Amino acid sequence: MSSPVLVGMADIKVAKGTGTLTCVGLGSCIGICAFDSSQGIAGLAHIMLPEAFDKNHVDKLGKFADTGVPELLRQMAELGANTRRLQIAIVGGAQVFKFGTPGTAPKMDIGARNIEAVQKALRDVNLQIQAKDVGGNLGRTVTLDVATGTVKVRTVSKAEIVLCNFKGAMPLAA
Amino acid sequence: MPQLTLEQIVSRTGDLPALPEATLSVMRETDKAEATARSVAQHIIKDQSLAARVLRLANSAFYGLPRQVNQIEEAVVILGMRTVKNLAMIASSYAWFAKELKGYGLGPQDMWRHSLATATAAQVIAEHTRKAPGDLAFCCGLLHDLGKLALHVWLDGSVDKVIQIAIQTGKPFDEIERAAFGFDHADVGAHLAAGWNLPESYKLSMNYHHRPDECPTPDPVVDMVHLGDYLAMSMGLGLGADGMVYALSEGALERLGLNESSLEELASKFLDAWEKSSSMTKELAA
Ligand SMILES: [Fe+2]
Ligand SMILES: [Fe+2]
Repeated sequence: MSSPVLVGMADIKVAKGTGTLTCVGLGSCIGICAFDSSQGIAGLAHIMLPEAFDKNHVDKLGKFADTGVPELLRQMAELGANTRRLQIAIVGGAQVFKFGTPGTAPKMDIGARNIEAVQKALRDVNLQIQAKDVGGNLGRTVTLDVATGTVKVRTVSKAEIVLCNFKGAMPLAA
Repeated sequence: MPQLTLEQIVSRTGDLPALPEATLSVMRETDKAEATARSVAQHIIKDQSLAARVLRLANSAFYGLPRQVNQIEEAVVILGMRTVKNLAMIASSYAWFAKELKGYGLGPQDMWRHSLATATAAQVIAEHTRKAPGDLAFCCGLLHDLGKLALHVWLDGSVDKVIQIAIQTGKPFDEIERAAFGFDHADVGAHLAAGWNLPESYKLSMNYHHRPDECPTPDPVVDMVHLGDYLAMSMGLGLGADGMVYALSEGALERLGLNESSLEELASKFLDAWEKSSSMTKELAA
Protein backbone atom coordinates (compact mmCIF):
# COMPACT_ATOMS: atom_id res chain seq x y z
CA MET A 1 0.00 0.00 0.00
CA SER A 2 1.27 3.46 -0.84
CA SER A 3 1.97 5.84 2.02
CA PRO A 4 -0.98 7.88 3.27
CA VAL A 5 -1.60 11.39 1.99
CA LEU A 6 -1.16 13.78 4.92
CA VAL A 7 -3.80 16.44 5.16
CA GLY A 8 -2.16 19.29 7.08
CA MET A 9 -3.85 22.13 8.94
CA ALA A 10 -6.21 24.06 6.65
CA ASP A 11 -5.62 21.55 3.83
CA ILE A 12 -8.16 19.64 1.75
CA LYS A 13 -7.26 16.48 -0.14
CA VAL A 14 -9.42 14.38 -2.47
CA ALA A 15 -8.77 10.99 -4.08
CA LYS A 16 -10.45 8.46 -6.32
CA GLY A 17 -10.21 4.68 -6.29
CA THR A 18 -7.35 3.89 -3.94
CA GLY A 19 -5.10 5.45 -1.33
CA THR A 20 -5.40 6.70 2.22
CA LEU A 21 -6.07 10.20 3.47
CA THR A 22 -5.11 11.14 7.01
CA CYS A 23 -5.11 14.03 9.50
CA VAL A 24 -2.42 13.38 12.09
CA GLY A 25 -2.93 15.05 15.47
CA LEU A 26 -6.28 16.76 15.59
CA GLY A 27 -6.75 18.89 18.69
CA SER A 28 -9.56 21.40 18.40
CA CYS A 29 -9.40 21.06 14.62
CA ILE A 30 -11.91 18.87 12.81
CA GLY A 31 -11.32 16.32 10.10
CA ILE A 32 -14.31 16.09 7.77
CA CYS A 33 -14.36 12.80 5.88
CA ALA A 34 -16.60 12.73 2.82
CA PHE A 35 -17.28 9.77 0.55
CA ASP A 36 -19.18 9.06 -2.63
CA SER A 37 -19.43 5.27 -2.63
CA SER A 38 -20.92 5.00 -6.11
CA GLN A 39 -17.86 6.69 -7.63
CA GLY A 40 -15.27 5.63 -5.05
CA ILE A 41 -14.32 9.26 -4.44
CA ALA A 42 -13.12 10.42 -1.03
CA GLY A 43 -12.24 13.77 0.49
CA LEU A 44 -10.74 14.92 3.78
CA ALA A 45 -10.67 18.51 5.06
CA HIS A 46 -8.63 19.64 8.10
CA ILE A 47 -10.64 22.56 9.49
CA MET A 48 -8.94 24.85 12.05
CA LEU A 49 -11.51 27.49 12.92
CA PRO A 50 -15.29 28.01 12.81
CA GLU A 51 -15.72 30.94 10.47
CA ALA A 52 -13.77 33.21 8.18
CA PHE A 53 -13.14 36.70 9.59
CA ASP A 54 -13.66 38.22 6.17
CA LYS A 55 -15.15 35.90 3.57
CA ASN A 56 -13.69 37.94 0.70
CA HIS A 57 -10.14 37.58 1.92
CA VAL A 58 -9.50 33.98 2.85
CA ASP A 59 -5.96 32.79 2.19
CA LYS A 60 -6.78 29.11 2.62
CA LEU A 61 -10.40 28.06 2.22
CA GLY A 62 -9.79 24.88 4.21
CA LYS A 63 -8.92 26.88 7.31
CA PHE A 64 -12.55 27.64 8.23
CA ALA A 65 -15.67 25.49 8.49
CA ASP A 66 -17.86 27.90 6.55
CA THR A 67 -15.47 28.15 3.58
CA GLY A 68 -13.94 24.66 3.90
CA VAL A 69 -17.13 22.63 3.44
CA PRO A 70 -18.11 24.22 0.09
CA GLU A 71 -14.50 23.93 -1.10
CA LEU A 72 -14.37 20.23 -0.15
CA LEU A 73 -17.56 19.67 -2.17
CA ARG A 74 -16.19 21.64 -5.10
CA GLN A 75 -12.99 19.60 -5.22
CA MET A 76 -14.89 16.33 -4.97
CA ALA A 77 -17.32 17.39 -7.72
CA GLU A 78 -14.32 18.19 -9.90
CA LEU A 79 -13.25 14.54 -9.57
CA GLY A 80 -16.76 13.49 -10.58
CA ALA A 81 -18.48 12.96 -7.23
CA ASN A 82 -22.19 13.43 -6.76
CA THR A 83 -22.03 15.92 -3.90
CA ARG A 84 -25.69 15.48 -3.03
CA ARG A 85 -25.10 11.90 -2.00
CA LEU A 86 -21.96 12.24 0.08
CA GLN A 87 -21.57 10.28 3.26
CA ILE A 88 -19.91 12.21 6.06
CA ALA A 89 -17.97 11.50 9.25
CA ILE A 90 -16.43 14.14 11.50
CA VAL A 91 -13.58 13.71 13.97
CA GLY A 92 -11.82 16.08 16.39
CA GLY A 93 -13.03 19.23 18.15
CA ALA A 94 -11.31 18.44 21.45
CA GLN A 95 -10.82 21.26 23.92
CA VAL A 96 -9.07 22.30 27.10
CA PHE A 97 -11.10 22.48 30.30
CA LYS A 98 -13.71 25.16 30.20
CA PHE A 99 -13.13 28.29 32.12
CA GLY A 100 -15.62 30.79 33.42
CA THR A 101 -16.78 32.06 36.75
CA PRO A 102 -19.01 29.63 38.61
CA GLY A 103 -22.65 30.49 38.03
CA THR A 104 -22.17 31.93 34.57
CA ALA A 105 -22.58 29.85 31.45
CA PRO A 106 -19.20 28.46 30.39
CA LYS A 107 -17.86 30.10 27.31
CA MET A 108 -17.29 28.10 24.19
CA ASP A 109 -13.83 26.97 23.32
CA ILE A 110 -12.47 26.76 19.76
CA GLY A 111 -13.11 22.98 19.79
CA ALA A 112 -16.81 23.29 20.67
CA ARG A 113 -17.28 26.19 18.26
CA ASN A 114 -15.65 24.16 15.50
CA ILE A 115 -18.06 21.25 16.07
CA GLU A 116 -21.06 23.57 15.86
CA ALA A 117 -19.77 25.40 12.83
CA VAL A 118 -18.95 22.20 10.92
CA GLN A 119 -22.39 20.78 11.69
CA LYS A 120 -24.03 23.99 10.51
CA ALA A 121 -21.95 24.17 7.32
CA LEU A 122 -22.94 20.57 6.50
CA ARG A 123 -26.63 21.29 7.22
CA ASP A 124 -26.41 24.26 4.88
CA VAL A 125 -25.51 21.92 2.02
CA ASN A 126 -28.06 19.28 3.12
CA LEU A 127 -25.53 16.65 4.10
CA GLN A 128 -26.05 14.35 7.04
CA ILE A 129 -23.36 13.18 9.41
CA GLN A 130 -23.15 9.40 9.48
CA ALA A 131 -20.67 9.01 12.26
CA LYS A 132 -18.71 11.26 14.58
CA ASP A 133 -16.05 11.10 17.23
CA VAL A 134 -15.84 14.63 18.59
CA GLY A 135 -15.24 16.60 21.78
CA GLY A 136 -13.36 15.46 24.86
CA ASN A 137 -9.85 16.58 25.75
CA LEU A 138 -7.59 14.20 23.82
CA GLY A 139 -5.83 14.37 20.47
CA ARG A 140 -6.93 12.16 17.60
CA THR A 141 -5.65 10.90 14.26
CA VAL A 142 -8.19 10.06 11.55
CA THR A 143 -7.59 7.88 8.50
CA LEU A 144 -9.89 7.38 5.53
CA ASP A 145 -9.24 4.40 3.28
CA VAL A 146 -10.39 5.37 -0.19
CA ALA A 147 -10.79 1.82 -1.55
CA THR A 148 -12.84 0.43 1.32
CA GLY A 149 -14.48 3.59 2.68
CA THR A 150 -13.31 2.78 6.17
CA VAL A 151 -12.79 5.60 8.67
CA LYS A 152 -10.46 4.80 11.53
CA VAL A 153 -9.69 6.94 14.57
CA ARG A 154 -6.74 6.68 16.89
CA THR A 155 -6.69 8.58 20.16
CA VAL A 156 -3.19 9.09 21.61
CA SER A 157 -2.05 6.05 23.65
CA LYS A 158 -5.26 4.12 22.88
CA ALA A 159 -6.06 1.41 20.35
CA GLU A 160 -7.31 2.43 16.93
CA ILE A 161 -11.08 2.07 16.40
CA VAL A 162 -13.14 1.75 13.22
CA LEU A 163 -15.51 4.69 13.35
CA CYS A 164 -17.55 3.67 10.32
CA ASN A 165 -17.44 2.06 6.94
CA PHE A 166 -19.02 4.12 4.19
CA LYS A 167 -19.43 1.06 1.97
CA GLY A 168 -20.89 -1.05 4.78
CA ALA A 169 -24.62 -1.69 4.86
CA MET A 170 -25.04 -0.24 8.31
CA PRO A 171 -23.07 2.87 9.10
CA LEU A 172 -22.80 3.68 12.79
CA ALA A 173 -25.45 6.12 13.85
CA ALA A 174 -24.27 9.58 14.72
CA MET B 1 3.95 6.12 42.47
CA PRO B 2 7.18 6.69 44.42
CA GLN B 3 7.05 9.38 47.08
CA LEU B 4 10.21 11.32 46.40
CA THR B 5 11.06 14.98 46.73
CA LEU B 6 11.60 17.11 43.67
CA GLU B 7 15.34 17.13 44.36
CA GLN B 8 15.41 13.33 44.69
CA ILE B 9 13.51 12.86 41.46
CA VAL B 10 15.85 15.16 39.58
CA SER B 11 19.00 13.63 41.06
CA ARG B 12 17.79 10.11 40.22
CA THR B 13 16.92 10.93 36.62
CA GLY B 14 19.70 10.27 34.14
CA ASP B 15 20.23 12.18 30.94
CA LEU B 16 18.93 15.56 32.08
CA PRO B 17 18.92 18.48 29.66
CA ALA B 18 21.67 21.05 30.02
CA LEU B 19 22.16 24.15 27.92
CA PRO B 20 25.70 24.47 26.50
CA GLU B 21 27.77 27.14 28.23
CA ALA B 22 28.10 28.96 24.90
CA THR B 23 24.32 29.26 24.57
CA LEU B 24 23.96 30.56 28.10
CA SER B 25 26.61 33.19 27.51
CA VAL B 26 24.94 34.22 24.23
CA MET B 27 21.70 34.73 26.13
CA ARG B 28 23.40 36.89 28.74
CA GLU B 29 25.36 38.83 26.15
CA THR B 30 22.34 39.73 24.02
CA ASP B 31 20.66 41.16 27.13
CA LYS B 32 23.47 43.65 27.60
CA ALA B 33 23.05 47.16 26.24
CA GLU B 34 26.63 47.23 24.98
CA ALA B 35 26.39 43.92 23.06
CA THR B 36 27.66 44.02 19.46
CA ALA B 37 27.52 41.58 16.55
CA ARG B 38 31.16 40.74 17.26
CA SER B 39 30.70 40.18 20.98
CA VAL B 40 27.67 37.92 20.41
CA ALA B 41 29.48 35.98 17.67
CA GLN B 42 32.49 35.45 19.92
CA HIS B 43 30.34 33.58 22.42
CA ILE B 44 28.86 31.32 19.76
CA ILE B 45 32.10 30.37 18.03
CA LYS B 46 33.49 29.09 21.32
CA ASP B 47 31.32 26.07 20.58
CA GLN B 48 32.06 24.90 17.03
CA SER B 49 29.20 22.43 16.77
CA LEU B 50 26.75 25.06 18.01
CA ALA B 51 28.17 27.56 15.53
CA ALA B 52 27.75 25.09 12.66
CA ARG B 53 24.12 24.41 13.55
CA VAL B 54 23.33 28.11 13.92
CA LEU B 55 24.80 28.76 10.48
CA ARG B 56 22.77 25.95 8.95
CA LEU B 57 19.58 27.44 10.43
CA ALA B 58 20.53 30.95 9.30
CA ASN B 59 21.01 29.64 5.76
CA SER B 60 17.74 27.72 5.75
CA ALA B 61 15.08 28.66 3.23
CA PHE B 62 13.10 30.19 6.09
CA TYR B 63 15.21 33.36 6.12
CA GLY B 64 15.65 33.49 2.36
CA LEU B 65 19.05 35.18 2.53
CA PRO B 66 20.28 36.28 -0.89
CA ARG B 67 23.56 34.43 -0.46
CA GLN B 68 25.22 31.83 1.75
CA VAL B 69 26.41 33.19 5.09
CA ASN B 70 29.59 31.53 6.36
CA GLN B 71 30.50 33.61 9.38
CA ILE B 72 28.52 33.84 12.60
CA GLU B 73 29.26 37.54 12.91
CA GLU B 74 27.79 38.12 9.46
CA ALA B 75 24.67 36.14 10.47
CA VAL B 76 24.27 38.37 13.53
CA VAL B 77 24.59 41.51 11.38
CA ILE B 78 22.05 40.29 8.81
CA LEU B 79 19.53 38.57 11.05
CA GLY B 80 19.97 40.56 14.25
CA MET B 81 21.23 39.35 17.60
CA ARG B 82 17.78 38.47 18.92
CA THR B 83 17.15 36.11 16.02
CA VAL B 84 20.58 34.54 16.34
CA LYS B 85 19.96 34.05 20.05
CA ASN B 86 16.72 32.20 19.20
CA LEU B 87 18.65 30.06 16.72
CA ALA B 88 21.22 29.18 19.37
CA MET B 89 18.41 28.16 21.71
CA ILE B 90 16.74 26.07 18.99
CA ALA B 91 20.04 24.41 18.05
CA SER B 92 20.77 23.61 21.71
CA SER B 93 17.42 22.16 22.68
CA TYR B 94 16.41 20.20 19.59
CA ALA B 95 18.22 17.01 20.57
CA TRP B 96 16.49 16.73 23.96
CA PHE B 97 13.05 17.56 22.71
CA ALA B 98 13.21 15.30 19.65
CA LYS B 99 13.38 12.24 21.91
CA GLU B 100 10.48 9.97 22.62
CA LEU B 101 8.90 10.61 26.05
CA LYS B 102 6.98 7.44 26.72
CA GLY B 103 5.72 8.56 30.12
CA TYR B 104 3.68 11.27 28.40
CA GLY B 105 2.74 9.16 25.41
CA LEU B 106 4.89 11.35 23.16
CA GLY B 107 6.55 9.72 20.16
CA PRO B 108 9.86 10.87 18.68
CA GLN B 109 9.60 14.52 17.50
CA ASP B 110 6.26 15.11 19.27
CA MET B 111 7.73 17.07 22.18
CA TRP B 112 9.86 19.05 19.74
CA ARG B 113 6.82 19.91 17.64
CA HIS B 114 4.90 21.00 20.74
CA SER B 115 7.81 23.11 22.06
CA LEU B 116 8.48 24.84 18.73
CA ALA B 117 4.74 25.43 18.23
CA THR B 118 4.37 26.95 21.70
CA ALA B 119 7.43 29.15 21.07
CA THR B 120 6.06 30.30 17.71
CA ALA B 121 2.60 31.00 19.16
CA ALA B 122 4.02 32.89 22.16
CA GLN B 123 6.01 35.07 19.76
CA VAL B 124 2.92 35.73 17.63
CA ILE B 125 1.06 36.79 20.80
CA ALA B 126 3.97 38.99 21.90
CA GLU B 127 4.08 40.74 18.54
CA HIS B 128 0.31 41.16 18.49
CA THR B 129 0.00 42.58 22.03
CA ARG B 130 3.40 44.33 22.15
CA LYS B 131 3.62 43.68 25.86
CA ALA B 132 6.97 41.82 25.80
CA PRO B 133 9.79 41.20 23.30
CA GLY B 134 8.94 38.47 20.80
CA ASP B 135 12.30 36.70 21.12
CA LEU B 136 11.91 36.38 24.89
CA ALA B 137 8.40 34.94 24.49
CA PHE B 138 9.78 32.56 21.84
CA CYS B 139 12.62 31.21 24.01
CA CYS B 140 10.43 30.90 27.11
CA GLY B 141 7.80 29.09 25.04
CA LEU B 142 10.44 26.74 23.67
CA LEU B 143 11.49 25.65 27.17
CA HIS B 144 8.10 25.73 28.94
CA ASP B 145 7.64 21.95 29.27
CA LEU B 146 11.31 21.25 30.08
CA GLY B 147 10.26 19.47 33.29
CA LYS B 148 8.58 16.73 31.26
CA LEU B 149 12.06 15.60 30.18
CA ALA B 150 12.70 14.52 33.77
CA LEU B 151 9.22 13.60 34.95
CA HIS B 152 8.35 11.33 32.02
CA VAL B 153 10.58 8.61 33.43
CA TRP B 154 8.49 8.54 36.59
CA LEU B 155 5.15 8.56 34.78
CA ASP B 156 6.02 5.70 32.46
CA GLY B 157 3.43 2.98 32.91
CA SER B 158 1.04 5.07 35.01
CA VAL B 159 0.11 7.94 32.70
CA ASP B 160 -3.10 6.28 31.56
CA LYS B 161 -4.24 5.92 35.15
CA VAL B 162 -3.40 9.58 35.81
CA ILE B 163 -5.37 10.61 32.73
CA GLN B 164 -8.37 8.55 33.81
CA ILE B 165 -8.36 10.29 37.19
CA ALA B 166 -8.01 13.69 35.56
CA ILE B 167 -10.88 13.12 33.14
CA GLN B 168 -13.16 11.51 35.74
CA THR B 169 -12.60 14.23 38.32
CA GLY B 170 -12.57 17.04 35.75
CA LYS B 171 -9.25 18.24 37.12
CA PRO B 172 -6.37 19.41 34.95
CA PHE B 173 -3.46 17.02 34.43
CA ASP B 174 -0.94 19.21 36.27
CA GLU B 175 -3.14 19.15 39.35
CA ILE B 176 -3.18 15.35 39.31
CA GLU B 177 0.62 15.38 38.92
CA ARG B 178 0.82 17.54 42.03
CA ALA B 179 -1.50 15.18 43.91
CA ALA B 180 0.64 12.18 42.89
CA PHE B 181 4.15 13.62 43.27
CA GLY B 182 3.72 16.73 45.39
CA PHE B 183 4.87 18.84 42.40
CA ASP B 184 4.20 18.98 38.66
CA HIS B 185 6.26 19.12 35.44
CA ALA B 186 6.19 22.92 35.66
CA ASP B 187 7.93 22.86 39.06
CA VAL B 188 10.49 20.36 37.78
CA GLY B 189 11.29 22.54 34.76
CA ALA B 190 11.83 25.63 36.89
CA HIS B 191 14.05 23.60 39.19
CA LEU B 192 16.15 22.28 36.29
CA ALA B 193 16.65 25.76 34.89
CA ALA B 194 17.35 27.39 38.25
CA GLY B 195 21.10 27.00 37.85
CA TRP B 196 21.20 28.54 34.38
CA ASN B 197 20.88 32.12 35.59
CA LEU B 198 18.45 33.04 32.86
CA PRO B 199 16.22 36.10 33.16
CA GLU B 200 13.36 35.72 35.64
CA SER B 201 10.74 35.33 32.86
CA TYR B 202 12.14 31.87 32.01
CA LYS B 203 11.68 30.50 35.49
CA LEU B 204 8.29 32.13 35.96
CA SER B 205 6.90 30.99 32.62
CA MET B 206 8.10 27.44 33.19
CA ASN B 207 6.74 27.38 36.72
CA TYR B 208 3.36 29.02 36.06
CA HIS B 209 2.53 28.12 32.47
CA HIS B 210 -0.51 26.11 33.61
CA ARG B 211 -1.45 28.46 36.48
CA PRO B 212 -0.61 31.97 35.30
CA ASP B 213 -3.06 33.51 37.78
CA GLU B 214 -0.88 32.27 40.62
CA CYS B 215 2.33 33.87 39.35
CA PRO B 216 3.65 35.94 42.30
CA THR B 217 5.06 38.76 40.17
CA PRO B 218 3.02 39.78 37.13
CA ASP B 219 4.90 39.04 33.91
CA PRO B 220 3.24 39.21 30.48
CA VAL B 221 5.60 36.50 29.19
CA VAL B 222 3.97 34.00 31.57
CA ASP B 223 0.57 34.77 30.06
CA MET B 224 1.97 34.59 26.52
CA VAL B 225 3.49 31.18 27.14
CA HIS B 226 0.24 30.00 28.75
CA LEU B 227 -1.77 31.08 25.71
CA GLY B 228 0.93 29.89 23.30
CA ASP B 229 0.74 26.46 24.93
CA TYR B 230 -3.05 26.62 24.59
CA LEU B 231 -2.83 27.42 20.88
CA ALA B 232 -0.26 24.67 20.26
CA MET B 233 -2.53 22.16 22.02
CA SER B 234 -5.64 23.38 20.20
CA MET B 235 -3.89 22.96 16.88
CA GLY B 236 -3.00 19.42 17.92
CA LEU B 237 0.75 19.97 17.70
CA GLY B 238 2.59 17.30 19.66
CA LEU B 239 -0.30 16.19 21.84
CA GLY B 240 0.61 13.38 24.22
CA ALA B 241 -1.42 11.16 26.51
CA ASP B 242 -2.19 14.22 28.64
CA GLY B 243 -3.81 15.71 25.54
CA MET B 244 -5.57 18.96 26.27
CA VAL B 245 -6.40 18.06 29.85
CA TYR B 246 -5.39 21.50 31.10
CA ALA B 247 -7.27 24.65 32.02
CA LEU B 248 -7.31 27.89 30.07
CA SER B 249 -6.95 30.98 32.24
CA GLU B 250 -9.30 33.80 31.44
CA GLY B 251 -7.06 36.03 33.54
CA ALA B 252 -4.19 35.55 31.09
CA LEU B 253 -6.41 36.74 28.24
CA GLU B 254 -7.60 39.76 30.20
CA ARG B 255 -4.14 40.79 31.37
CA LEU B 256 -2.95 40.79 27.75
CA GLY B 257 -6.01 42.76 26.65
CA LEU B 258 -7.34 39.85 24.59
CA ASN B 259 -10.68 38.09 24.34
CA GLU B 260 -11.90 34.86 22.85
CA SER B 261 -12.39 36.13 19.35
CA SER B 262 -8.83 37.46 19.38
CA LEU B 263 -7.75 33.90 20.20
CA GLU B 264 -9.20 32.73 16.89
CA GLU B 265 -7.48 35.53 15.06
CA LEU B 266 -4.21 34.60 16.78
CA ALA B 267 -4.73 30.95 15.83
CA SER B 268 -5.02 32.00 12.21
CA LYS B 269 -1.88 34.15 12.42
CA PHE B 270 -0.15 31.30 14.18
CA LEU B 271 -0.74 28.97 11.24
CA ASP B 272 1.11 31.33 8.92
CA ALA B 273 4.03 31.65 11.35
CA TRP B 274 4.05 27.91 11.97
CA GLU B 275 4.39 27.05 8.29
CA LYS B 276 7.64 29.00 8.34
CA SER B 277 9.10 28.07 11.72
CA SER B 278 8.34 24.36 11.38
CA SER B 279 10.31 24.28 8.15
CA MET B 280 13.48 24.73 10.23
CA THR B 281 13.10 21.27 11.71
CA LYS B 282 14.50 19.57 8.64
CA GLU B 283 17.74 21.55 8.99
CA LEU B 284 18.08 20.25 12.54
CA ALA B 285 17.23 16.65 11.77
CA ALA B 286 19.78 16.59 8.95
FE1 LIG C 1 2.98 21.98 30.51
FE1 LIG D 1 2.91 22.47 26.90
